[in-house]
Amino acid sequence: MASSFSRLAATLGRRQAALELRWLKAAQVHAPLEEMVSRRVAGEPLQYILETQPFGPLTLKTRAPTLIPRPETEDWTIRLAELLKNTSSKRRRKVLDLGTGSGCIPLLLCELLPQGTLTTFGVDQSLLAVQLARENAELTGFSTDEQRNTFSAFQASFLDPLFPQLHLGLEPPFDVLTSNPPYISWNEYLRLPNSVLNYEDPKALFGGPDGLDFYRAIARLAATRGFLSPDAVVAVEVGDGQAQQVEEIFHSVARVNSVIWLDPWDKQRTVVVWLQPVDASHSRRFISGESGYPQ
Amino acid sequence: MLSFCLRRRCFSTGIQQIEKDGARILRIVKKRVDERALLTSQLSESMSTPEDITRLKQLKESEPIQEAWDEWAKTREALHETTALLEDPELKSMASEDYTMLSNTLQELVKTRFPAILVPPSRTAHLSALMELKSGVGGSEASLFLGEMLRMYLRLAQSQRWKASVVSESALDGGGVRDAVVEVRGPGAYDALRFESGVHRVQRVPATEQSGRVHTSTVAVVVLPLMEEADAQQEELYSMDDVKIEVMRARGAGGQHVNKTESAVRLTHIPTGVTVAMQDERSQHQNKRRAFQILASRLMEAKLIREMAERRASRRNLVSSADRSDKIRTYNFAQERVTDHRIGLSLMNLRSVMEGDGLQDFVAALQRDNEETALEDLLAED
Repeated sequence: MASSFSRLAATLGRRQAALELRWLKAAQVHAPLEEMVSRRVAGEPLQYILETQPFGPLTLKTRAPTLIPRPETEDWTIRLAELLKNTSSKRRRKVLDLGTGSGCIPLLLCELLPQGTLTTFGVDQSLLAVQLARENAELTGFSTDEQRNTFSAFQASFLDPLFPQLHLGLEPPFDVLTSNPPYISWNEYLRLPNSVLNYEDPKALFGGPDGLDFYRAIARLAATRGFLSPDAVVAVEVGDGQAQQVEEIFHSVARVNSVIWLDPWDKQRTVVVWLQPVDASHSRRFISGESGYPQ
Repeated sequence: MLSFCLRRRCFSTGIQQIEKDGARILRIVKKRVDERALLTSQLSESMSTPEDITRLKQLKESEPIQEAWDEWAKTREALHETTALLEDPELKSMASEDYTMLSNTLQELVKTRFPAILVPPSRTAHLSALMELKSGVGGSEASLFLGEMLRMYLRLAQSQRWKASVVSESALDGGGVRDAVVEVRGPGAYDALRFESGVHRVQRVPATEQSGRVHTSTVAVVVLPLMEEADAQQEELYSMDDVKIEVMRARGAGGQHVNKTESAVRLTHIPTGVTVAMQDERSQHQNKRRAFQILASRLMEAKLIREMAERRASRRNLVSSADRSDKIRTYNFAQERVTDHRIGLSLMNLRSVMEGDGLQDFVAALQRDNEETALEDLLAED
């Protein structure tokens, strides 16, 4: 049989193969190397084989079919943490993450903000995701200790008209609302690479015919009286080319201010929304460079 | 009687010899002591003016040199008295014992204590090291030797109680290592390993060579001071505004569309043009952190070289700062010999260098040579 390296190199190219082989060899996984290489060659994402993915300073568990944390999400979550650090809050902030998956967004906020200043919640319609998110809360030490920041995950669909009233423990108002909702449109869905299409949960990817269904639901929730605190900030990840449309969705439901953040590859990746018109000088302090005020 | 006179002359020649050998350093110490006396005389009666406070601080700082000088003067005086006693046949044997002890003390002052006080302590003494090994000429044989050198350094780290970890390594299918980066953590690691920077040459018959012909291959070593975030800030090595951060390779639509591991990062320090590319880690965040650490380490090295050049600017053409392309050491297997070309030191037991404690002898000799050079720099300023 060909060497592990040459098998990987045939599908990944030599450079990527060399890197991945090293990570596979170093992985704390019980499976034999040959077997891991075979799974990788068959197209399985590396993160599911290694069972972990670093996310900021954290190392989170990954397990099919829950969405693998992406570098774009890592980047904007770190940026959101900086923004929250620079705007002080007198009370302990409540954070809600919609479609939390592995729990990566709230857990990274818990890690990066001063301890004891955040209570974070995540909801996901998938029980598998909720289980994984809870394991990650345990793993990172943000599950129960009230002295530190905390994260709890609930199974819930935020499309449910009765959300969040039906869910004990999820009490509005929230000070920070985050989401990396499914945003892939029908047309794009069929063109996804196999490593995404065949392994990751379609419910975490498919965002309706135009990919924007979940933003409409999030904007509706955000505009619901009492759901967010008056100075709340909303940050949602968007797909390539969706940022302006998502901004418009928020502007159509309430008088808001918004900016678009670029990801490290210069794609418009995150729409950040303030419910109340913020004083321009105040906002400019933490919005660097690539701001895109509409109107 | 005649023999006694001869011995006495020999003794007094001893003092003169010490003073003659240490003439330059004694002159510097004397100068510093005179400066202290001048400072003391300038103190006002109240001892509380702002100038006084500066003077008192300077006096405090130079106390060790005064103490050592006082000991020198006292010992020298005692030595003279002992010399007189040597003429007394009854006290002769006791006196000659004292004489030996006192001359040793004087020797020690000139050779060790004065230089230790005068030469400023290394400002990199607390730093860990980042060591990069790259195979040069010689193809797979160079890579095989690189693997052996890697083990040699890991063994050295272990014996010195440093914590060494291989952070990246490209091992070849046929054995050997094309290149490797090792972090060596522990105080003194950088100061000890920095002189390993340069080209190491191996001369031997490769295991794969059928004809028994001796090959010459090389491995290039670069040792940088490992800068932690706090160290980097303290040294003010760069401002974030001057660093361009780029992600490498396109990701198409990115986000949910792609789950390929794509974490390579490149930093460019615009004022110096130094670039660092990093792709060994699995996340962009980790690669960025590592890249910033390496950037800081490179800028720190440049800063140290600049400082050394400035210190030596007054000296004529004595600067022999090692160029990275300079061949510094040869490992000759046929003759079982390792030679360091900078200090002209050869050890005949190659195996003990590769597999035992032999390397420590080189490391220690190079550090000693560096200290002596620092002292020469100081004397040249005189």
